[in-house]
Amino acid sequence: MASSGAAEADPGEREREREQHDDLHHQRRLASSLTARYSDWVLEALDELPGSFLLTDPALAGHPIVYASRGLAALTGYARREVLGRGARVFQGAATDRAAVAGVREAVRAQRAHQVAILNYRRDGSPHWVLLHLAPVFHARDGSVLHFLAVQVPIDDAGRGAGAPCRGAQGAVLAACREEARVDDDFPCASYSGKVFVDMDRRGLEAEKPRIASDSEKEKAISTANSIVAALNRYSKLTGLVVSGKRCDSVGIPALSSSLNLSLGRIKQSFVLTHSCLPDMPIIYASDAFLSLTGYSREEILGCNCRVLNGPGTSLEVIEEINQHICSEQACTVDLLSYRKDGSSFPDLLHVSPIRDASGKVAFHIWVHLDVGAKHDFNGLTPEVWQLGAVGAVRVAVRGLSASGSLLRPSQ
Amino acid sequence: MVSATKVEGEYSFLSKNSHLDQSEGVKTHLYHFGAEHGNDDLKSTACPEQGPSLLDTILLSQWDNFAWKGHLDYDVTACQLKVIEGGINFVGQLNNKWNSFSLKEYDKLFESFRCSKPNSMKSYEGLLLCVAQGENDRPEVAPSASPPKDGLLLIANAYPVEYGHIFLVPAAVNQLSCYWDKRMFGLATKIASEVNNAAFRVFFDSRTHVVSDHMFFQACYFPNPLPVECASTVVVYEYGGNARSDIIVSETVGYPLKAIVFTSNNLKALVNVVSEICFSLHDNTTAYSLLISNNGTKVFLFPQVKNLVIGCSLSTWECGGYFIYHTKFEFDNASETEISKRMASVSLQDSAFEDLKHLCCAIAHDLVK
Repeated sequence: MASSGAAEADPGEREREREQHDDLHHQRRLASSLTARYSDWVLEALDELPGSFLLTDPALAGHPIVYASRGLAALTGYARREVLGRGARVFQGAATDRAAVAGVREAVRAQRAHQVAILNYRRDGSPHWVLLHLAPVFHARDGSVLHFLAVQVPIDDAGRGAGAPCRGAQGAVLAACREEARVDDDFPCASYSGKVFVDMDRRGLEAEKPRIASDSEKEKAISTANSIVAALNRYSKLTGLVVSGKRCDSVGIPALSSSLNLSLGRIKQSFVLTHSCLPDMPIIYASDAFLSLTGYSREEILGCNCRVLNGPGTSLEVIEEINQHICSEQACTVDLLSYRKDGSSFPDLLHVSPIRDASGKVAFHIWVHLDVGAKHDFNGLTPEVWQLGAVGAVRVAVRGLSASGSLLRPSQ
Repeated sequence: MVSATKVEGEYSFLSKNSHLDQSEGVKTHLYHFGAEHGNDDLKSTACPEQGPSLLDTILLSQWDNFAWKGHLDYDVTACQLKVIEGGINFVGQLNNKWNSFSLKEYDKLFESFRCSKPNSMKSYEGLLLCVAQGENDRPEVAPSASPPKDGLLLIANAYPVEYGHIFLVPAAVNQLSCYWDKRMFGLATKIASEVNNAAFRVFFDSRTHVVSDHMFFQACYFPNPLPVECASTVVVYEYGGNARSDIIVSETVGYPLKAIVFTSNNLKALVNVVSEICFSLHDNTTAYSLLISNNGTKVFLFPQVKNLVIGCSLSTWECGGYFIYHTKFEFDNASETEISKRMASVSLQDSAFEDLKHLCCAIAHDLVK
């Protein structure tokens, strides 16, 4: 936000004023990364939380830090305004293990959670070991990444592992090479955001013996991360909640385009969509009604196969029948015993049908679940009619031609 | 489940109808609109977050069930779609099963209706549901009821142009009109509004009279906006005196087929004005197509001249910019230039279109006061 040009009568005073002004402007811009998605109270709520953590915004150029907790200043010696707007590599130094950094970078690129012990540097230059817990924060509805949260838990000296293997410099270089060989186009947005956790100038320096975090430190990192996500959800302005950790299995499950997500979101029935072309037919969409029926959260169920609902008493013959219908691209309705997350079972009226996209090929399968045991009000409709209504609505939505020609989010 | 039962073996929609139990009265889902309370304004301002309407759910469900049971000639969702290159974004569908003669087959069906005694209708599986005006506040569904005389039957088209393709015909089949039926148009528009799904479009081709000599509507779900709906428009008449009876008459700009667009949140006003214009067009024996879109708040009127060279006019979906190709070669080689030429060849001459515009404005002015 540098600006110049006007002649200044009292350079010192004016300079200070302007710096202050620019500083405020800059901070406000960064804060809007949060306040655009959450209410203004979110900053106060985050300030209340104990622990040293920060939030970064991958959508802003340079993937800057947009929030730093009070605890971070105590741990690192950096005042909040000194780190806001900078990349997270500010904490790295000469002896920070590059293999560890590459791991973090890969996690950012793949948009998944990651925990690693890493040697960081305080403002005064002194190194200290922290357990870095990094996790993406997703918009639960459309699966887009809003922020990354990074919790730093200091690793106690006593918890130091005696026989930790020393990572050689060679291994680190190989790891780095492999990273560079990747096609950056896979993640056009994440390709630069991944780099912010790495400082290329520090290459070739000897890595220190890594310290191992204790279980209690790991738990502390996770509980801090959970409380951050809880605070974000409490003050969310978004149409859906945010979720953290894994959006799906660590293998990249594609996210649906936002227009398709919007159309599907209107459909009230309890259903999931599975991707027909990916191995093991992972779930790529779950309706709100499905989540409340089964008790799973969206991030738990996405990426899973529909067999997670099976349990003792689930008929294998019926499962086989479904599989045969799937293979022959036919629809079927079956009665099945299904299980919720809490282990309780329900009589499940299940309709499975192939769904074709604009190319005419089967892209997804819809699985409409109905708890026959529960009381329903379908406005005079039979459960079967109610179920098939969802199938028709999904067919129309999926048949839509999208501008990009793909129903999937291009960056995934 | 639904009244339909699976018929084993080869199934032919038409032959099935020719040997049915004549004495059995038909039972189907009966959907009653909520009663009107003098308020004609559409509820289309309702929050879209509410989700699909009851009528939308039944219609989609009944259609999908009908397709699942194997009663359709083909699965239209297996037909490839593409956007034809150019600025207008015409949509092409590769479908070697559909042909324009399938509509003529339905003439036989309607003929069989007309021959049967009033109210002793044959049952057949193409019937998805019946829609009628109701007396209670909220819309209601009876899972199995006899269609009332004043109802509208929604019958699946076994040769669909798109998902959910149906015919809308009067339940009292002897009432199939050879002339413009305003009440029926009102019901069809009401259905468009009550389905409340942006993908759902109702359409009408006056040219079908040439082959069938009675009037019916069609409807289906087009997943994307039709090119004509995306075309820019200029207002030619706007009546803003009374917010409740606002109606806007516009014309499309930059679209190869001249069209007049009527927009209103007042269903009655919209139906009155468009009906009056259709009466005039019938008197003049002008061929035209109607497209009801945007949840029953918008009606596109495509007047057409008889093209002696091609010998036929465009169907409503073609007027809207949606074309079916029978062969892969045609599909791959579809071009905006060729389509535009076809449209221009049936489009009204400038002077005739100006006359029609004036007529539309005059009727709108007279009726909406």
